[in-house]
Amino acid sequence: MASTGQPLSLKRRDAPLTREGDQLTITPLGAGNEVGRSCVYMSYKSKTILFDCGIHPAYSGMAALPYFDEIDPSTIDVLLITHFHLDHAASLPYFLEKTTFRGRVFMTHATKAIYKLLLTDYVKVSKVSIEDMLFDEQDINRSMDKIEVIDFHQTVEVNGIKFWCYTAGHVLGAAMFMVDIAGVRVLYTGDYSREEDRHLRAAELPQFSPDICIIESTYGVQLHQPRHIREKRFTDVIHSTISQGGRVLIPAFALGRAQELLLILDEYWSNHPELHNIPIYYASPLAKKCMAVYQTYILSMNERIRSQFANSNPFKFKHISPLNSIEDFSDVGPSVVMASPSGLQSGLSRQLFDMWCSDKKNSCVIPGYVVEGTLAKTIINEPKEVTLMNGLTAPLNMQVHYISFSAHADYAQTSTFLKELMPPNIILVHGEANEMGRLKQKLITEFTDGNTKIITPKNCQSVEMYFNSEKMAKTIGRLAEKAPEVGETVSGVLVKKGFTYQIMAPDDLHIFSQLSTANITQRITIPFAGAFGVIKHRLEQIYESVESSTDEESAVPTLQVHDRVTVKQDSDKHISLHWTSDPIGDMVSDSIVALVLNISREIPKVVVESEAEKTEEENGKKAEKVIFALLVSLFGDVKLGENGKLMISVDGNVAHLDKQSGDVESENKGLKERVKTAFRRIQSAVKPIPFSAP
Amino acid sequence: MGTSVQVTPLCGVYNENPLSYLVSIDGFNFLIDCGWNDLFDPSLLQPLSRVASTIHAVLLSHPDTLHLGALPYAMKQFGLSAPVYSTEPVYRLGLLTMYDQYLSRKQVSEFDLFSLDDIDSAFQSVTRLTYSQNYHLSGKGEGIVIAPHVAGHLLGGTVWKITKDGEDVIYAVDFNRRKEKHLNGTVLESFVRPAVLITDAYNALNNQPPKQQRERDRDFVDIISKTLEAGGNVLLPVDTAGRVLELLLVLEEHWSLKSLNFPIFFLTYVSSSTIDYVKSFLEWMSDAIAKSFETSRDNAFLLKHVTLLISKSELDKVPDGPKVVLASMASLEAGFSHDIFVEWAADVKNLVLFTERGQFGTLSRMLQADPPPKAVKVMMSRRVPLVGEELIAYEEEQNRLKKEEALKASLIKEEESKASHVPNINSSDPMVIDANNKHPSLDGQHGSGYRDVLIDGFVPPSTSVAPMFPFYENTSDWDDFGEVINPDDYVIKDEDMDQAAMHIGGDMDGKLDEGSASLILDTTPSKVISNELTVLVKSSLIYMDYEGRSDGRSVKSILAHVTPLKLVLVHGSAEATEHLKQHCLKHVCPHVYAPQIEETIDVTSDLCAYKVQLSEKLMSNVLFKKFGDYEIAWVDAEVGKTENDMLSLLPISTPAPPHKSVVVGDLKMADFKQFLASKGVKVEFAGGALRCGEYVTLRKVGLASLKGGGSGTQQIIIEGPLCEEYYKIRDYLYSQFYLL
Repeated sequence: MASTGQPLSLKRRDAPLTREGDQLTITPLGAGNEVGRSCVYMSYKSKTILFDCGIHPAYSGMAALPYFDEIDPSTIDVLLITHFHLDHAASLPYFLEKTTFRGRVFMTHATKAIYKLLLTDYVKVSKVSIEDMLFDEQDINRSMDKIEVIDFHQTVEVNGIKFWCYTAGHVLGAAMFMVDIAGVRVLYTGDYSREEDRHLRAAELPQFSPDICIIESTYGVQLHQPRHIREKRFTDVIHSTISQGGRVLIPAFALGRAQELLLILDEYWSNHPELHNIPIYYASPLAKKCMAVYQTYILSMNERIRSQFANSNPFKFKHISPLNSIEDFSDVGPSVVMASPSGLQSGLSRQLFDMWCSDKKNSCVIPGYVVEGTLAKTIINEPKEVTLMNGLTAPLNMQVHYISFSAHADYAQTSTFLKELMPPNIILVHGEANEMGRLKQKLITEFTDGNTKIITPKNCQSVEMYFNSEKMAKTIGRLAEKAPEVGETVSGVLVKKGFTYQIMAPDDLHIFSQLSTANITQRITIPFAGAFGVIKHRLEQIYESVESSTDEESAVPTLQVHDRVTVKQDSDKHISLHWTSDPIGDMVSDSIVALVLNISREIPKVVVESEAEKTEEENGKKAEKVIFALLVSLFGDVKLGENGKLMISVDGNVAHLDKQSGDVESENKGLKERVKTAFRRIQSAVKPIPFSAP
Repeated sequence: MGTSVQVTPLCGVYNENPLSYLVSIDGFNFLIDCGWNDLFDPSLLQPLSRVASTIHAVLLSHPDTLHLGALPYAMKQFGLSAPVYSTEPVYRLGLLTMYDQYLSRKQVSEFDLFSLDDIDSAFQSVTRLTYSQNYHLSGKGEGIVIAPHVAGHLLGGTVWKITKDGEDVIYAVDFNRRKEKHLNGTVLESFVRPAVLITDAYNALNNQPPKQQRERDRDFVDIISKTLEAGGNVLLPVDTAGRVLELLLVLEEHWSLKSLNFPIFFLTYVSSSTIDYVKSFLEWMSDAIAKSFETSRDNAFLLKHVTLLISKSELDKVPDGPKVVLASMASLEAGFSHDIFVEWAADVKNLVLFTERGQFGTLSRMLQADPPPKAVKVMMSRRVPLVGEELIAYEEEQNRLKKEEALKASLIKEEESKASHVPNINSSDPMVIDANNKHPSLDGQHGSGYRDVLIDGFVPPSTSVAPMFPFYENTSDWDDFGEVINPDDYVIKDEDMDQAAMHIGGDMDGKLDEGSASLILDTTPSKVISNELTVLVKSSLIYMDYEGRSDGRSVKSILAHVTPLKLVLVHGSAEATEHLKQHCLKHVCPHVYAPQIEETIDVTSDLCAYKVQLSEKLMSNVLFKKFGDYEIAWVDAEVGKTENDMLSLLPISTPAPPHKSVVVGDLKMADFKQFLASKGVKVEFAGGALRCGEYVTLRKVGLASLKGGGSGTQQIIIEGPLCEEYYKIRDYLYSQFYLL
């Protein structure tokens, strides 16, 4: 079912594929076999969704963007952002303001509130040239108006796409999105953690099993240490460094994990009065601003924090002081500093690192996942020397500890999560190629039933799957008064809304839908001074049924043609036509109008009976000729065969057509059907309108 | 056949009594709302008591007494044990409302219908949902999906949508279409053609003058500031945590704008926790509030001009001078508003401003009569500590009970633990509340000593009556190898750290305000003394509508838009119900029901339906035409069967039988006029018809006002002489429709 095809441009919307409607395409535009710039494109039944819109923290400018040029942004219906981290949300202002995207964007309340602060800060601190700037503050403010909010579990329907989100546990407001298009469900986890920590809930297990699970694989097959051991290691390293007179640098991203670490540190300091003279600095004005958000959306946090909140604000730290810039920092004696960015690329954390890296008393605690290509990743392997910001090299003497607090699922969590869900298709994203590969192998050995497909597409590599979606319709109302037997026919209006189908009688249309029906009655007046009888006579020549009567109200003579059109002699000088609009009625009335106009122009002729008969005969022959000509134009090789049958040959297949009955004989079923249909249509075009038509 | 639906009102039909309805869907019984009034009359709950045990799920719509007040009592007395569903604010604010009710009542009477513990345990079984969350019931209710939607009346207020097999039953009472300061308007209008709609007739006869919200707000603050400037006090009797939020925002905004200095007090037993929680409910409020927080992190409920008070004594300490007090209860039957009213009513300068219609038979309803009564009789009750002989008698009684208790305890001490420590003295002196119940006292000073203790998180167990420490017999078991040890005692717990932290937090339900906590902690024996007095009402009494419900006109237009297949009317005076019923029969749908209490009506839809599979072969030949959200097509198909015995539709083998053509579309004359004008045709309305160009006229006859019944087909007549223009206009007309 699933196949990993060549990277092909997704702009081609109307691919000439027979099953195109049932083909589901998933293409990572970023985060395919890498960490950073998460962006996954999905399309099914001509509905398109983009999950996340991040940047790659190791690159700058356009190079940091996901491969947006692979898609046509104007075709995207919905864009869903899982959480506020830069690698998941930071290219959003660019995508909203600088591309042709016109769809709708959704994120949770907390994500939206922090998104603005975070990106404004990002724009300020990223020191790139103007050309490399992807967006400015105005773009962010404008994007805020376009972003809509969604609450956890709230079901939203856009354009037939249904989606809702679950708690992901990664950071405040992080969500996993479940998307339902025509019954096919896709779960996109974003970054998630199944472990409850100091302030966040663990990721929920969705109620329904998805058909496809797009899951992060950051930690691959690694296993996390239990949380209390990690916390102990963390506090022990800090405690011992400080007691030896050293300084501790914790490079951490301003939001998310930092709050968790601060909660740990604040509590540890409270329990150890001997440390009270050692300052803890938290160098992030941004985080200070975000505190209001953390204090407001306590409903998104776990029970523990909510109950603490009842008494006092747990985010009001007693032992931690804010630090605005390195100028305000007096580096005298031991201290603990938490500073961003987490990758030590630049900024305050890098400045401090450069100052402290050569002293072996100092420590650097790396508390979370570090992205490939950043200095933090380099120093984990403890090289002898490092390059400073000013280009010089310095010995790396400080101790480097890597204690992961990042709230990503580890292998144990991932495999149990997947086993609970049992999705038939798993797509791994957001992981380094090697880790991802190992994870894939290990998962394959776990899911040995063979029904589970695990795919690890690279960026821009499309995964195509086919889903045999059964279209179900509900027949309701008068049409459904009794269930039909096999072989009976059902005729009615098929109404499609989103992906639900209903069949109903036209009269029920207004009951079961907001559509209403109309009757258009037309009345047209034609000047006519001749005798009314002439019109009747002429009409009888064309139409089989012409009934004459008198109008009840005005007592004027009337004619009823085919029960459709009423011709009324309003006065000596005018006649009027009445009919209800429909194609046949319009046509009949047009012919009557033409006839009446002709009568008024021409002098009435004497009509010869025999002529009429002859015309009928001629008509028959003419019709045959027309049928033959039309068939030739359709099929090419048409010959008159034995006993009046027509022989039609197309590519060596031969069909025999009986002109009288319309029966077709042919070896080739397809041809047979086509000839039959063609003949039926030609006949209905050539033959006069039967009287029986309702 | 469709899903079977029965509706049985248990309370609140043909009058304005509290709301409580039983809705049974294919045998699954929902109790929707479980209300009580401020008088707490148990006879109202008779019908509920008869069915309580058969209920499978409870849905709550609004966090006020009328919608959920009877829940603790029903859970305790009637054996109602079904899971309860509500939104988070309804749960939280409902809980606070009940606390406030209890504490207000307790203050003035021997209130024993339910206790704080009963309230807590009733609310424990609440499952909290978010708006538009489709919650799939399991077990007996398999296949039923419930979803709360915005009602717009109170924070968290809910329109419930219950869906089974694609048929919707909607319960929408007290909705508000208008967008307010803190709430969005209801989304009820987005539901179209539900199978059943249950709604109220409360406001059917109440047509507000079409006044802008801004104007109304201005009048409101004008009246208040005039009174204040004249040196009078303003009392606003309000609910605990519902409409008061809107009033607070209106006042707060005006005070900031005009930088007024008159103090505003919000006085309920739970005011500070109410505002604390409300601050964290931004997700549930209006877009404007959410937006202001997202962009500037301004939480609208960080009140700058309003002081939150939780006891009357704090208000008494405030220096004299004009002030605004928002105090619960709105009914003036009990609570702070009652006491303040009695104090202030005699002064002509003062103003009592009602913002909602009082419940039937309450003091506030009496005062809202026109003309207002000159004097009213009120019962003044207060709780006073026991003194002198009464106190001695009480203490003797207590001692006797304790002795009995000790004796009993010694007899059953081999029984392991705590259970025996619960003293069973509920049935003691009727004059005196036993110490086991929480002892409220009007005198706030009693509590102040305990406050620090509470802040430290030390909450004494409610059973702490004994003056001695509980004694536990610690007998250790021995076997052949020595003392039996419990391995758990030696396990190093991962969660230790958490638990420590958890402890500091205390439990959530401990989050009562200090004042009410002091009432709970106060174990001074006390009693209630009452005396009736007549209050001369000299202060001005004004009623301004801030109840946040759609008025009669807008209810009717919403109903006409929703056009349910069947409509059930509840909650509203007999006249209002009858009026709305007649109106709806004429304009909304032919099936309108207004059942009596305990009258079960069957609103099973007589809809016939069956499911078919649409085969791929058929669908590939169908060409849809797009029409707004819909896509439509005509199908002629033959019925077949799939492998798994489903009916399926296949392409028809014989030529399709001709069918009467269907013209689909909804022509709005005004829109069409504009359309023609944009095409350069001269158009005007003349004598109910649209004159297009020189000669052609267009008319719409027999307006299908009755959507549910009738023909539902629009009749459009176009007439004119034979000319080019006629055909042109006809083409334009055709372009507004689809022909099938």
